[in-house]
Amino acid sequence: MSNLDNINPPTLHNEPGSLHPINQTKDYLLKLLSEMGFQKIHGPEIETEEFNFDMLNIKKSHPARQMHDTFYVEGKKNVLRTHTSPVQIRSMLNSKPPIAFTSAGKVYRKDDDATHLPMFHQVEGIYVDENVTFANLKDLIHQILNKLFGDDVEVRFRPSYFPFTEPSAEVDILAENGKWLEILGCGIVNPIVLDNCNIDSNRYSGLAFGLGVERIAMLKYGVNDIREFYKSNLDFLKQFK
Amino acid sequence: MKISYQNLINHLLEKPTKELLSEKLFQLGHEHEIQGDIFDMEITPNRGDCLSLLGLTRDLNIFFGRLGNFDIYEESIDVLEIDFENHSIEDCPQISFLEIEIEEVKDTYNPYLENFFSSIGNKKTNLFTDISNFISYELGQPTHCFDRATIKEKLIFENKECNNSFKTLLGSEVYLKGRNCVFTSSGEIISLAGVMGGASTACSSKTKKVLVECAYFNPESIIGKSSKYNLISDAAHKFERGVDITSQERVLRRFIKVVQDHADIKSIKLRSFGSGDFNNTFIPIDSKKINKILGTNLEEREYLKYLDALGFQISNQIKVPAYRHDIKSNNDLAEEIARVIGYNNIKSSSINLKKIPYINEGKVSKLETLLIENGFSEVINFPFTSKKEKGSINIDNPLDSNRNNFRTSLKESLIENLLYNERRQKDSVKLFEISDIYTKDQEIKQQKKVGLIISGRLGNNYNDFSKKLDYKYLNKLLNKDLNEDIVEIIEIPRNILDTKKKDKIYYAEFYLDDIPKSFYPELDIQEKAINFVNYKPISEYPSCTRDFSFLIEDLDVVKKVIDMLEEASDEIIKNSFIFDYYKDDKTNIIKIGYRFIFQSDLKTLSDSDIKNIVNKILSPILKIDGVSIPGM
Repeated sequence: MSNLDNINPPTLHNEPGSLHPINQTKDYLLKLLSEMGFQKIHGPEIETEEFNFDMLNIKKSHPARQMHDTFYVEGKKNVLRTHTSPVQIRSMLNSKPPIAFTSAGKVYRKDDDATHLPMFHQVEGIYVDENVTFANLKDLIHQILNKLFGDDVEVRFRPSYFPFTEPSAEVDILAENGKWLEILGCGIVNPIVLDNCNIDSNRYSGLAFGLGVERIAMLKYGVNDIREFYKSNLDFLKQFK
Repeated sequence: MKISYQNLINHLLEKPTKELLSEKLFQLGHEHEIQGDIFDMEITPNRGDCLSLLGLTRDLNIFFGRLGNFDIYEESIDVLEIDFENHSIEDCPQISFLEIEIEEVKDTYNPYLENFFSSIGNKKTNLFTDISNFISYELGQPTHCFDRATIKEKLIFENKECNNSFKTLLGSEVYLKGRNCVFTSSGEIISLAGVMGGASTACSSKTKKVLVECAYFNPESIIGKSSKYNLISDAAHKFERGVDITSQERVLRRFIKVVQDHADIKSIKLRSFGSGDFNNTFIPIDSKKINKILGTNLEEREYLKYLDALGFQISNQIKVPAYRHDIKSNNDLAEEIARVIGYNNIKSSSINLKKIPYINEGKVSKLETLLIENGFSEVINFPFTSKKEKGSINIDNPLDSNRNNFRTSLKESLIENLLYNERRQKDSVKLFEISDIYTKDQEIKQQKKVGLIISGRLGNNYNDFSKKLDYKYLNKLLNKDLNEDIVEIIEIPRNILDTKKKDKIYYAEFYLDDIPKSFYPELDIQEKAINFVNYKPISEYPSCTRDFSFLIEDLDVVKKVIDMLEEASDEIIKNSFIFDYYKDDKTNIIKIGYRFIFQSDLKTLSDSDIKNIVNKILSPILKIDGVSIPGM
């Protein structure tokens, strides 16, 4: 029969914490892109209209520039960046091709309803070199989506419109329920944008793409309601260990 | 934009099935949903030219041929004597007016017009307005009908500073402020140009004589007005995206034709204002460049054939049609070609970037590792607050007045997060947030801040259960009990918060840059592969806690009892742990306190639900000799 001295006390369970699932997904995407050759770059969330819009060929008449879509700050002097693209503009101004950059972070849109949040996260990538083609872009997007969703994922490219890319595409994957699901936007960098960044568009061309981090996180974790990410509920957060 | 399948194929040479039509529309970049016979189109903002039957069939011409059978009135028309002045040609470089008078208004419409209302689900108002809506659907050019009798004085188009209320033809009243493009007559604003007409000059079912205005408004002059005044209109949607500057007279001639099908016309008069000049864009033919952009091997002949089918005129260069405002360069033409070939039919060509090493964000990752190992959960909060602090950045157009400043501290958000979790019966809360904070002195300053908040039990195990998270805990974690405080830790008094809980709250906030590099030298950054767990939705129902105190007299079964408790599984067991463990040396007995937390995803648990599950777990354990729960 045992005596008290040789009874080991039960294991002490220390519950570990967790990184936020959006940051986990963002870091995962950044790492995936870094491993493909994209260099991580950073930029401010409060931007000038010049970097957030003008340099990206988003004209004054574009709906995105209206007060109902964009948060303006400090007497319309600046904006809360509406995408992570200005980070790439800032970096391109200080670099010479070939370049491959990726940036990630918070972005803001004046929106707040069941499926839209005033703040969300994007990850973007840009690659500029001689002879970069739409066929290259397709290859790269396939590489990314295969890493994210497996080699068997079915991918569809659709023409779309972004002022900073031409041609522009939206990319869908075939979901388990048989429906196409929009997953990212991409395109050939509009030569106007290259010229704005003092990159000779006759010699160089580029490709660019952007993903919504929340969208990827929702798909990968099976979260149906985007608002769950921002309730800070421990029952939610502790699931992502 | 809703468009009928039947209407589409009526204007196409070939008659594709709905499925094939849908496939080709997607290929061309025209996203849509199909409801019965209606295609609900989502046209990208650069393709205002496709916001009509004409526009879509022009794009579909390449696949199915288009008939172009929008009949127009081709006779010569008398010149309209109209007292009109355009005070802002820049905002409206082209405008035409049609005056048309009819004998009688018929009650019934021709099938094609009737069908426009029945199939798309549009509401009829009066003949002229109905025809105007139909023409906009067909040709993409909005027109506005004034009841001719209501305009007695000079008609003026102007971009003027407004401070007036304006009653729309739909009956709503808006207050016009700032500069707006308007039509005025007798000093009164009778139409908010490109958005909506006014009530005072609107047509009724009795109107027999109308003045139809058909214009090209500069999109930049119109944009934002519709949303500013909350006057959503098809016209504004189209003018904001740009209409065809060369089409106004042709559209009015189509208008006459449709009126002719519905009434006997007494008189028609037409007058256009504007130079009529339009400088088309020309792009040199350069198929090599197109292939270089796309990575294709297209022959020039084929490339030009595609452009021709899309309405481009080919001579020694490429003439872009007036309605394609979006085409300015070879990259734009490359997209045209890619759409026709199909993005999915362009072969991928491999690309390999130079590999670079992955660099982890040193300080952030080290701190994150430390906090996660110590049971902290990371939160992300929106940065908006009503609090204006020194250096706060003010938001000009906030979502509401409670969110009009950018936060300068993470404290307010983290306190809210703590209280939110306490309301959900969480008795041990450790949260942190790392975020860039923006403040303004002379210039905008960006700094990474870290905030941590703790309250409640030290932990859910028998060592920590009865201890509280306190100053000492946080000080040890962040300042390592050093004499010099690197991080300031404060207590947040409960009495200023909306809470009845008593546990003390401790909070620390610091700039990441203030932490010396040598602070966490022993920590290795965890390079953990991400685990995309299958998320389980959180129950909306309350949880119930049950504690059991076991007396174990047979020491040989201690491990077995603990294993049985820890292995107990049921979908309503949310959490369970040993909260007390005590060896009584005198009696040779071990006491174990064990807590179960139950919660259902489907309902609020009743006493009997809990009793059932407790019995299921406990009865095999209590059958073991030497194991008991006193009082049970």
